[in-house]
Amino acid sequence: MSLLNEKIINQVKDLFKGLEKPVTMKFFTQEMECQFCKETHSLVEEIASTSNKIKFEVYDFQKDTEQVKAHKIDKIPALVVMDEKDRGIRFFGIPSGYEFSSLISAIMLVSTGRHQLKKSTIDFLNYIQKPVHLQVFVSPTCPYCPPAVILAHQMAYVNDYITADMVESSEFTPLAIKYQVQGVPRTIVNDTEYLEGAAPEEYLIEKIKASL
Amino acid sequence: MLDFNLNIADETDSSQIYDLIIIGGGPAGLTAGLYAARYKLNTLMIEKAFISGGQMAGTEWVENYPGFPEPVLGQKLAQNMESQAKSFGLKIINAYVDSVDLSPKIKEIKSGETIYKTKSVLITTGASPRKLGLANEEQYKGKGISYCATCDGPMYPDKKIAVIGGGNSACEESLFLAKYAKEIVIIQNLDHLTADPIVIEKLKAEPKIKVRLNSTLRSFDFSNALNRQILIEDSVSHQQETLLIDGIFIFVGMIPNTQLFENQLELDHGYIKTDNSLQTNISGVYAAGDVIVKELRQVATAVGDGALAAYKINKFLEDH
Repeated sequence: MSLLNEKIINQVKDLFKGLEKPVTMKFFTQEMECQFCKETHSLVEEIASTSNKIKFEVYDFQKDTEQVKAHKIDKIPALVVMDEKDRGIRFFGIPSGYEFSSLISAIMLVSTGRHQLKKSTIDFLNYIQKPVHLQVFVSPTCPYCPPAVILAHQMAYVNDYITADMVESSEFTPLAIKYQVQGVPRTIVNDTEYLEGAAPEEYLIEKIKASL
Repeated sequence: MLDFNLNIADETDSSQIYDLIIIGGGPAGLTAGLYAARYKLNTLMIEKAFISGGQMAGTEWVENYPGFPEPVLGQKLAQNMESQAKSFGLKIINAYVDSVDLSPKIKEIKSGETIYKTKSVLITTGASPRKLGLANEEQYKGKGISYCATCDGPMYPDKKIAVIGGGNSACEESLFLAKYAKEIVIIQNLDHLTADPIVIEKLKAEPKIKVRLNSTLRSFDFSNALNRQILIEDSVSHQQETLLIDGIFIFVGMIPNTQLFENQLELDHGYIKTDNSLQTNISGVYAAGDVIVKELRQVATAVGDGALAAYKINKFLEDH
């Protein structure tokens, strides 16, 4: 049984008419799939089947060590949305609920290269030459979360030093506890700085500056 | 059952002059957007959040909006209103408005690096949750202090939560939180709850929820994550008591979102003053919904405002 209903599939197909460059979705799971691994697997497969511009690859977290290492995957289910190169765009946990929009946005971002970042943000991002790791903790029922995820993904797309993860809090509880996530969205910058809520991009830039 | 929501912003063209720009996409704005689109006005809605619906989208169930004998999810109702308006051609973008210039005949709305031009403006920016004003409240927002149950409730499985307030929001959101939390204490400063009787009845039937009347939250100490304390005071006996809780949810009323307009529009306690046509003190600038001076702020009244505002704006554009 498919996860996406016909109406959503048609909406996605409509949006994907605007895709330009091919996109690859690399999905990491394991042989005995966890519940969310299984569901994320079908979800990504269903999305990939809506456009011939999307390539779908499945890797085993245990066995495909080269791929795991190359994309720095440390937990599953994990999804990398990329073109010919890894842009640092990751989804850990299922992008369901409102996060479904974050996933579709990421695919469109990678395919079209079009982002909404301000010029001042780009100017700042061009200066960054050290690794920046953004982890955006979300819950699927939170309507304020996708803007935080989409912002982080756009920054990762623009600068190769930035990696941006969507992390679905309930699937990675120990991690959510480690970072004291009690409200979402919460963006963790390089393990040291925190940003609450769907804040404007200037706020995230301040936190990135403080973390470097 | 997994649910999937797709919401991608429309593309806009800032070189054109819109007939109408609606700031804020709650029920008032969405209704106005629907009517304006049906009047064939070239209309753009600017909504700061990712999804339309405003406060409605942050509410779990809406039970008093006519036409839905079964309670309807606030987010679902918002989505329905949005897709109905969009089906008639309303364009919606998700962006913050940074400043407005309302006085000229062609009005300007600045958002990021874009300036949108329009012949008329409808302000439906609604209201936001009021803060309690306690020391450290801002610092612990999202780290133990929350204003959105549907967002943060799932972060408190089997935990103990204090809910501040005694109105409809506080009581309804407590019922939602009871799905996750082990125990909920409602702290209300009055000697009774002010929620509708039907909500209070449901509250009484939920064994996880306790109510403390005549109680005020004086302070909280969240410095030790394993031993979070709140101090409450009884307003009759003035006795103070420390409670151990894991999080605080605050529902103590709303403040109007009118900071953008402070120097241009006539306000009353922060709310926008309008005439019978919902026009503000500036010609071509209208306001509707929770943001205006009115007695009852509900989805049903916002929807009525929105329809009237669009009708009057259409007349205004015909006459000017």
